[in-house]
Amino acid sequence: MSKIQDAFLKIGSVDRRWIFLIIALVVIVPLLIPVGLPIRPTDTTKNVYDAIESLPTGSKVLLSIEYSPSTRPENHPMTISIMRHLFTNNHKVFITCLWPDGQFMAQDAINQVAKNEFNKVYGEDYVFLGFRPGNEAVVKGIVSNLRKLYTVDVYQEKIENIPLMNGITNFKDFDFLFSSSAGFPGTIEWVQYASDPTGVPMATGVTSIQVNEVMPYVQAGQMVGVLAGMPGAAEYEALIGQKGSATSGMDAQSVAHLVIVLFIVLGNVAYFIERNRAKKY
Amino acid sequence: MKDKQFWLANLVIIIVFLVYWMAGQPYFFVDRIVMLVAMFAMGSTLIYNVRFAKQGGEFYLRPIPGLKAVEEAVGRSTEMGRPILYVPGIQDMDQVETVAGVIVLGHVAKMTARYETSLNVPVSRSIVMKAAREACRESYMLEGRPDMFNEDMVHYLTDDQFAYAAGVNGIMVREKPAACMYMGKFYAESLILAETGNSIGAIQIAGTASQAQIPFFVTACDYTLIGEEFFAASAYLSKKPELIGGVRGQDMIKVAIIVVIILSTIIMTMYENFGIGFNVIELLTVR
Amino acid sequence: MIWKRQIPILIVTVVGWITILGWYIDEPTIQGFVNDDATQWFDILASFAIILGALNLIKLQVQKILYQKPGWIYSIVAVSGFVFSIVAGFFIKGVEDSVAKWGAHVTTDGTLFKWMFDYMFSPLSATMFSLLAFFVASASYRAFRIRNFEATLLLVSGIIIMVGRVPIGSVISSWFIMYLIVLSAGIYVNIWKKDMTVTFIFVAVGISIVTISGFVMGWPIDQPGIFYLPAIQEWIYYYPNVAGARSIMIGIGLGIFATSIRYVLGIERSYIGE
Repeated sequence: MSKIQDAFLKIGSVDRRWIFLIIALVVIVPLLIPVGLPIRPTDTTKNVYDAIESLPTGSKVLLSIEYSPSTRPENHPMTISIMRHLFTNNHKVFITCLWPDGQFMAQDAINQVAKNEFNKVYGEDYVFLGFRPGNEAVVKGIVSNLRKLYTVDVYQEKIENIPLMNGITNFKDFDFLFSSSAGFPGTIEWVQYASDPTGVPMATGVTSIQVNEVMPYVQAGQMVGVLAGMPGAAEYEALIGQKGSATSGMDAQSVAHLVIVLFIVLGNVAYFIERNRAKKY
Repeated sequence: MKDKQFWLANLVIIIVFLVYWMAGQPYFFVDRIVMLVAMFAMGSTLIYNVRFAKQGGEFYLRPIPGLKAVEEAVGRSTEMGRPILYVPGIQDMDQVETVAGVIVLGHVAKMTARYETSLNVPVSRSIVMKAAREACRESYMLEGRPDMFNEDMVHYLTDDQFAYAAGVNGIMVREKPAACMYMGKFYAESLILAETGNSIGAIQIAGTASQAQIPFFVTACDYTLIGEEFFAASAYLSKKPELIGGVRGQDMIKVAIIVVIILSTIIMTMYENFGIGFNVIELLTVR
Repeated sequence: MIWKRQIPILIVTVVGWITILGWYIDEPTIQGFVNDDATQWFDILASFAIILGALNLIKLQVQKILYQKPGWIYSIVAVSGFVFSIVAGFFIKGVEDSVAKWGAHVTTDGTLFKWMFDYMFSPLSATMFSLLAFFVASASYRAFRIRNFEATLLLVSGIIIMVGRVPIGSVISSWFIMYLIVLSAGIYVNIWKKDMTVTFIFVAVGISIVTISGFVMGWPIDQPGIFYLPAIQEWIYYYPNVAGARSIMIGIGLGIFATSIRYVLGIERSYIGE
């Protein structure tokens, strides 16, 4: 019995580098050998899907990209899925970025979805407005006068020469907003300065850690729904019927979470054994 | 209650506003009147308590372990002969948390000047660099140790979030500070910083109002100032009556908000279920 | 002295009050200042201020290289990266003007800047973020201990959220959770009563109730919903979690309000020195 207890105590004080190694293995192996666990969409994800599905064909949707390569595994699959859903339903997509890195992410998504998958025509089906510095001032600028803020698009083409921009002067000219966000400025600025004051409906996709911050807005009805991290992205991929990198990442995330729980349980067993021994002596 | 000047000033403001209102309130967003009244009430509460404290009124502030630990951390660093690392967040001076972080830095710099401990402040924004330098310079001068101040103790790394985290981690691993303080606005890099600080055996004190990062700091740091405790830090550390009065004013406003929430819940329940009363949510919604 | 004290306080007070009261004033010039100009002035200042930061960075790193202070090799990497970014951004495009104009070249494939972003910046950024996966594991392992009631609550809710949020949580039957609860309660009864007979009876009765209920209901994986991990996880997310988040948000908002009022009234002056 005391040998077993000693073994648990050893586990309880293991060098963290062993934990790092085990975590690396449990993440890499499921990525190489997928298990294919079923994905069950949550209500918040379904609400986003239903909101976009119920938009009339040809609706003008503003898609705002504010994440960087560091959160690409969480946010990029959302952006791809939302873009696929929008183009499948023949909506007109206007892309803007509140982060400078977002411009690169948006261009990658446009290349993959708009150009390669759907053969959409630039200027008729979608417009890429690009990044402007100013954080929440950009959001306020889009709300008041978009043409003052964006005189040219990301390719340095004048806005007046783009057919899809006809009739677009401010935020109220859009029918829906989706923000794929990883921090500041992002979702909260869109809710506070754009969506809530004007009444234009919005949804968002955020990193898992940010869900806490945005959930009060979802509960209050200021947002129709939220895609919560990579699980949210995987759920959306399941809803639109096109699996992507989020779905393949869920196996790794599932196993990693289970292993972390196992570590916590083992750590607590060691803690109790140590506490009992200390009481004895 | 005896502050005649305060009540007189309030009365004048109210009368002026009433006259403005009777005149047809030109150029005023009428929908936002509730917000203006709330702002006036909250501001008055704060100012009353500040004046009361300045005039000698004493308030009790509960002890916050994290703030008591700041001086212990500086003392520990002095004994070990190792520097203190202070991270004022990764956002710019337009964020109130960053300003609060720079204020706390001023107090920490006073302690490091007093104990002759070296201080390292890597920053992520140029304007923060200038503000933090001024705060440190002022503190060292007030302690009578301008010779110990060196401009390069506050230095710029990079604007990029993870490049900054990598830079700070490098400083931690190379210089092995005895104390690490994280006071300001943080995002995902918070756990990276805190875990690295834990791995070098430093005592860690964090303070942030970034909701999502509070759990990481609570898990990995020795002491954490959560939300308002961080904003109250300057009052605790300086012990200035006007700042302490402000903290008490905040607490009074919080009690008022709790009462409003409870009353609104009751009124809305009555309105929606029995048709009695009015739609208080419409009244309180800000447009 | 007036330039270092009174004038900065005046600027803060005037601009602060205009920004606060400007929200209530329906006048285009003031609205324009409050909504656009005020924040853009700050962004313009910050953009020029970056030169200060960059000069400071280069000065310190070059000093380290020249005096060969400890870690000077890393300073060579820092300076090289700095110079390379400037060259790629302003001097060498890597493609003809017909392919990409200056400005658009940062996102156009084939340019030196895009190459740097794709093959240097993105992998480095992603690597730093991925450290969080390892640090979360080691931090959880170290910190999640059943020391008291609150720590136990934190531990249990953390496990429920971690497992319930991912697909594997939806394949764990609610009956498995019920059996786990019975066994955990049995451990607690044993610690409390210190009587093997009582513990055995308790556990046996618990297991029997769960088993009989399971047979009666047909062992549905997600019923009873109160023991189904994704359902419990959603409840924790929507109710206690949001309640806590809201209260912290209100507190933080009050803290920001109080701090800002102190600045615009000139009570807090530590940003310009005491």
